[in-house]
Amino acid sequence: MAEVRLEGVSKYFGRFKALDGISFTVSPGEIFTLLGPSGCGKTTTLRAIAGFEIPEEGRIYIDGVDVTFKKPYERNTAMVFQNYALWPHMTVFDNVAYGLKVRGYSREEIRRRVNWALELLGLKGLENRYPLQLSGGQQQRVALARAIVVEPKVLLFDEPLSNLDAKLRVRVREEIVSLQRRLRITTVYVTHDQEEAMSISDRIAVMDRGHIIQVGTPWEIYSSPANLFVATFMGRSNVLEGVVVSRESDNLYVVDVRGLRIYGVSRDKLEKGDKVKVVIRNEDAELLEEGGMSPNVLEGRVVRTSLIGFAIQMRLLLDNGETVNVYLKNKTSVSEGERLRVYVSPEDVKVYKALEAVEE
Amino acid sequence: MDPPLVALLLFSLTMFSAVLVVPLMVLLLRPAMDISLDVVRGLLSYPYVAWPPLGEWIIFVDRGDHTLIIVRFKDMGIILNTIMIAFSVTVIATTVGVLVALVSARYEFPGRSLLRIMALVPLLYTPFVNAFVAYKIFGDNGLLYHALLKLGMGYTIEVTYIAGVIVAQAMMFWPIVYLNTLAALLQIDPSLEEQAENMGARGFKLFRTVTLPLSLPGIAAGSGLVFIFSMEDLAAPIAFKVDRVISREIIKAIVGSRDVAFLSIEVIVLAGLLLTTALLWLTVVKQYVSLRHYAMIVRGGRWKPRVAKPGPLMYAIIYLVVFPIVIFSMLPQLGVIVYAFSESWVHVLPSGFTLDHFRELARDPNVVNGLRNSLVYSITAAILIIIISTTIAYVASRIRFAGVGALDLLATSPLAIPGLSIALGLVILYSLGSFKDSLVDPFRNPAVLITLAYAIRKGPFTTRAVYAGLQQVHQALEEAGMNLGASRSRVLFTVVLPLIGLNVMAGAIVSFVYCMTEVSTSIVLGALNPEQAPITYVIYEYVTAGYGGGAFIHLAAAIVTMTMALQILAITISNYILRFRYAFLGV
Repeated sequence: MAEVRLEGVSKYFGRFKALDGISFTVSPGEIFTLLGPSGCGKTTTLRAIAGFEIPEEGRIYIDGVDVTFKKPYERNTAMVFQNYALWPHMTVFDNVAYGLKVRGYSREEIRRRVNWALELLGLKGLENRYPLQLSGGQQQRVALARAIVVEPKVLLFDEPLSNLDAKLRVRVREEIVSLQRRLRITTVYVTHDQEEAMSISDRIAVMDRGHIIQVGTPWEIYSSPANLFVATFMGRSNVLEGVVVSRESDNLYVVDVRGLRIYGVSRDKLEKGDKVKVVIRNEDAELLEEGGMSPNVLEGRVVRTSLIGFAIQMRLLLDNGETVNVYLKNKTSVSEGERLRVYVSPEDVKVYKALEAVEE
Repeated sequence: MDPPLVALLLFSLTMFSAVLVVPLMVLLLRPAMDISLDVVRGLLSYPYVAWPPLGEWIIFVDRGDHTLIIVRFKDMGIILNTIMIAFSVTVIATTVGVLVALVSARYEFPGRSLLRIMALVPLLYTPFVNAFVAYKIFGDNGLLYHALLKLGMGYTIEVTYIAGVIVAQAMMFWPIVYLNTLAALLQIDPSLEEQAENMGARGFKLFRTVTLPLSLPGIAAGSGLVFIFSMEDLAAPIAFKVDRVISREIIKAIVGSRDVAFLSIEVIVLAGLLLTTALLWLTVVKQYVSLRHYAMIVRGGRWKPRVAKPGPLMYAIIYLVVFPIVIFSMLPQLGVIVYAFSESWVHVLPSGFTLDHFRELARDPNVVNGLRNSLVYSITAAILIIIISTTIAYVASRIRFAGVGALDLLATSPLAIPGLSIALGLVILYSLGSFKDSLVDPFRNPAVLITLAYAIRKGPFTTRAVYAGLQQVHQALEEAGMNLGASRSRVLFTVVLPLIGLNVMAGAIVSFVYCMTEVSTSIVLGALNPEQAPITYVIYEYVTAGYGGGAFIHLAAAIVTMTMALQILAITISNYILRFRYAFLGV
């Protein structure tokens, strides 16, 4: 098991700074995910680890060895490309065997290992097919088999599920996790899908515009987002503008949102009168019983309801003129035009300084 | 499909049948009527097959102070010479073409854009004259001979006869392989190669296991075309005085004949041989082309071409091998211009600058007549091409039915079918039975068949442009039209054509220019009635008459220089419109 360490890695494309001082350490055997919107530099980071991009600044270490300027073929990483990059002129067997042939294994050993990998991924019987004769899910597995069969120091995934349909995506990602748990190969995984990232990762690094914003376990990232960008990127949320009224305790503040008093927590040090953004996740709102009392009551008229499966999404026009979206379970009888009262517990309300120039 | 579209399709198919399919079938079946064992035996002996070969491969002449090495190769007879030349040219052209393509696709070096442009120069079509320049350069008493003599190394070289033909054709044709290979290389999804590197492959291993197999369709297409073009070429054999090749044998039989009855069965068999070779190749490439589609399973991913900085060895190869080859290959085209503007080029170097040859053209009745004929034929052909190519490309790419594959093949294959075979098929078919003495009888009225042959042979340039245009028009735009009640043909005229009109025009311009420079059918059919012959026939006449550098070849060079300018103009316009640079020159 190898450790992957990046120290202050920067990469320019022309005058555009794609990576700006990226540093992180992937512990041996963990699944580490780079998460962010397109263009944030996550794939460039992955390609730098694989050796397809050479950074202008910084160092990359695999297993303690400085590989920053090593050629891709000297690094012993194995990448699963977004489009799988299966060689169309080779059979499944030859695709999987390629890395072993390059490494000079005996014919017998190649056969044994390829069979092992195909067995592991449920591809037995497809050895002589060509990539185009396979379904998307099968192609994906061949790419995976080809990567693990060489026993790489690091497995690299570049949005490997983006070409699969929704159902298959969930199944394959579970397969990837269970495979990785068995083989314990250090894995760096790139995705723009926060749900995918949370479900497979040991740790996540959220990236934005060439920077790493926050590194942590999925729960840390979800429950205490470091800034407005992370807070709005993870899940669906409402962003309201307000002004700090008072500080209640250590990190609990009262914010005025157009006349409405909202209690929320903040990682920033805030002063009375600070302009802030208040983030409320759709799923954190709960229905308030008739006559019930609570802080953070949002009261208003339902202007739109839509079923999204496990919940109903309601759009509420609050009495102060703000509009918020909330998910509610077990409430199927609300119709548009009705009045509704929901509440959000103060620790679920995140408050950020509005000065941060990060748009939604 | 609705009636107007069906009518257009039927018209197009009739044209293909009348000018391509039926004549070629007649050509292939005609010998069956009176073939005999004697004919077969005749075709297997001299002059068709000479075994053991005659003459010498290389001759060393001791001239006292120096040794003259004459590289000429042996005469193996008409059939074997043709095949041997075509094979050698293909091997050389493929090696050079792939090398230049790899260098220009995969390395970043000063002068790369210049290299890419220079590599296209040999593809400028300069009927006959460029071959004469090649002869001037390394043939008997040529520039090479004198240059080496000047160096005083004690020996000098002439490359003549069959060896000269091989070198001249290789110089002319390697860019075809280059273009096709370059296109294939640029289409390979970079992640396929990156994955191999990621798996530990590098250098030659990477090239052999991934890059080469994936660009093979392009290489195969290019070298296949070279093989066919070489077999069909007349210019180099004429310039290097090789008369025992199939192309010259066919022309010899047709020029001056007054009736189809004079065509010997052997000549028809030779033309059939050209055709079968081409068809054989087409079927092989068809396999590869389907493989090519399959090679492009690209979804998502990033598309950044893989270019590397060359190492010291690569720099040496680029500047000491690749550049000299490319520059050397441009010499014939440059020489054509020199011929056109020089007073005489009898000795080693040309002398005197003049514009007289261009003035002379306007006064020469043959040239004026030929140019007028060519313009009429080419413009008429271009109009036919617009109708046929648009119809076929639209139907083949938008309507699903059995036989679409055949339609597609029909539309693109004429490029690879030897014009000499088509011409001979037309001569045989339309001088028989009720066609005799009719409007289409080639011995009376070659004009009609020349025009139709142009339309079929040079149509693929437009077809390809239309295909490219159609790929950019989303089908939903048409479906929206039909959904609102418009018929197929109405949608074609009101939605599709307005959107791809520029593509059609760009393609038609290129087709027009290649009609103006068409050689094979022009000469075969033009020879039957010189009054109606196009300009390329006039060039042929002048070149053969002005052998060795007489005034006529300067005239021919002047004509060809003008057509070169026309080609550059047309290609620039169409590339500007279509925004891709490599698709249209040559094939």
